[in-house]
Amino acid sequence: MIQFEQVSKRYPGGHDALKNLSFTIDSGEMLFLAGHSGAGKSTLLKLISGIARATSGNVLVNDQNLSRLRPSQLPYVRQHIGIVFQDHKILFDRSVFDNVMLPLDIIGFDRRDAARRVRAALDKVGLLGKEKVMPVRLSGGEQQRLCIARAVVHRPSILLADEPSANLDRAYALDIMELFKSFHQVGVTVIVSAHDETLMEDYGRRIIRLREGQFAS
Amino acid sequence: MKHYFYLHWQDARLALLKMLRQPIGSLLNLLMLAIALSLPVSLYLAATSVQAWVGKLTATPQITLFMELSTEQADLAAVQASLQSHPRVASFSFISKEAALQQLEQRSGMSGIGEGLGSNPLPHAFVVQPKADATPEALEMLQRELSGLPMVEQAQFDAAWAKRLHGLLELAMQLAWFLGISFGLALVLITHNSIRMQILARQEEIEVAKLIGATDSFIRRPFMYYAVWQGLLSTLCCWALCSVFVAQAAPALNGFAQLYSESITLRSLLPGELLMLAASSIALGIVGARLAAGHYLRRLRAR
Repeated sequence: MIQFEQVSKRYPGGHDALKNLSFTIDSGEMLFLAGHSGAGKSTLLKLISGIARATSGNVLVNDQNLSRLRPSQLPYVRQHIGIVFQDHKILFDRSVFDNVMLPLDIIGFDRRDAARRVRAALDKVGLLGKEKVMPVRLSGGEQQRLCIARAVVHRPSILLADEPSANLDRAYALDIMELFKSFHQVGVTVIVSAHDETLMEDYGRRIIRLREGQFAS
Repeated sequence: MKHYFYLHWQDARLALLKMLRQPIGSLLNLLMLAIALSLPVSLYLAATSVQAWVGKLTATPQITLFMELSTEQADLAAVQASLQSHPRVASFSFISKEAALQQLEQRSGMSGIGEGLGSNPLPHAFVVQPKADATPEALEMLQRELSGLPMVEQAQFDAAWAKRLHGLLELAMQLAWFLGISFGLALVLITHNSIRMQILARQEEIEVAKLIGATDSFIRRPFMYYAVWQGLLSTLCCWALCSVFVAQAAPALNGFAQLYSESITLRSLLPGELLMLAASSIALGIVGARLAAGHYLRRLRAR
């Protein structure tokens, strides 16, 4: 469960990204975050993953109050979260396989079990044939899939995706959405942000709409 | 627990592989550290070798009696008799003026020096070995007593120069320690710098790893192991350099010692000392690596 209690986030320099937000996301729920760029979607996802800290209010993730957690405890929270970054954050100095291996290395998986998991994750996103390829040779859509494989390989309980369908054509974007839906079906809490609401409406899920850091009514 | 060791082993292995993948750069780096280390270590080895020898000399000092040039056989017999009966004398040997001249000719390589001089300018001499339990005061008394024997020109206390050399060696040891400490600090700084460069080269990877849940120790570990290997290998290189130094310097040092009819064995590092050296250079390397990684991680967190 994810809970926001009167959460505000002000960046250095005085920009208010989120203003006094309160809401709850149930375990296993799939929901969308909508709003224009700069509405606070990315900030909200960053607060859930502990990449940014709330200026005031409480952010509770799986019963842990991230606002009170010591910085040294944050990595363990993140190890239960999968993140699909807006800018992918793929490492171009290593193969597709090694990119997906990184989260398992961090958790400290046994290498042989890990290899099996990496192949399963690559199979899931349709990149199994390209495990030895370097990421530069992947198309934009394939890089997106690689990022998703890395986000789910350690079987997180929460999956966050920041604008995963940006820069993709509609057919490809729908594929990606189906992929997220399949993770939701096995019990993962999935939160997907996008500025294009037409994709979301087909799914009939809850949509949190943000405008200038507040709920858009 | 087994798994924990497995992970550490992985990091240790990868760190070594990383070093081997850039053999020239790594070798130059190791040699730089090894040369810095071998300076104080060589000085330490030389000083302790000579010190052990000088210690032996001062512990069992000798008194050399130089006789007057006009000494007759009868005088020699008298001195010999009093030395034999003296309670503080353990043993003594006699070096005749002829034997002394022969030794001089041999050492200087100028045979026939005696013929050139016409007559032998060297005196007869007794080398007296006092009893081992003698105190410095008792030794001085003995020296005075012996110089009072008939026809004795001078009773020379051999320990005096040895004491001066001892003082000089003390200085050399202090210099070795000073060099050791300053090169130890240099080791920390050099490691700090090379780890900082490595971190900058892997900045992207570290940032992504941090974002997906890497702990600080996970980030630090490969750099720590790099420092461990660097410390270990540079100690081995230093050991090799010091062995070369010992092989090179031993004949020269022995030539010096032979001037006093002695021989000094220039020693190499003992296993215990080698272990200590390896342990301290590894520890200093780890300090450097930790400082560099800690600095970077703190900066990353502040963003």
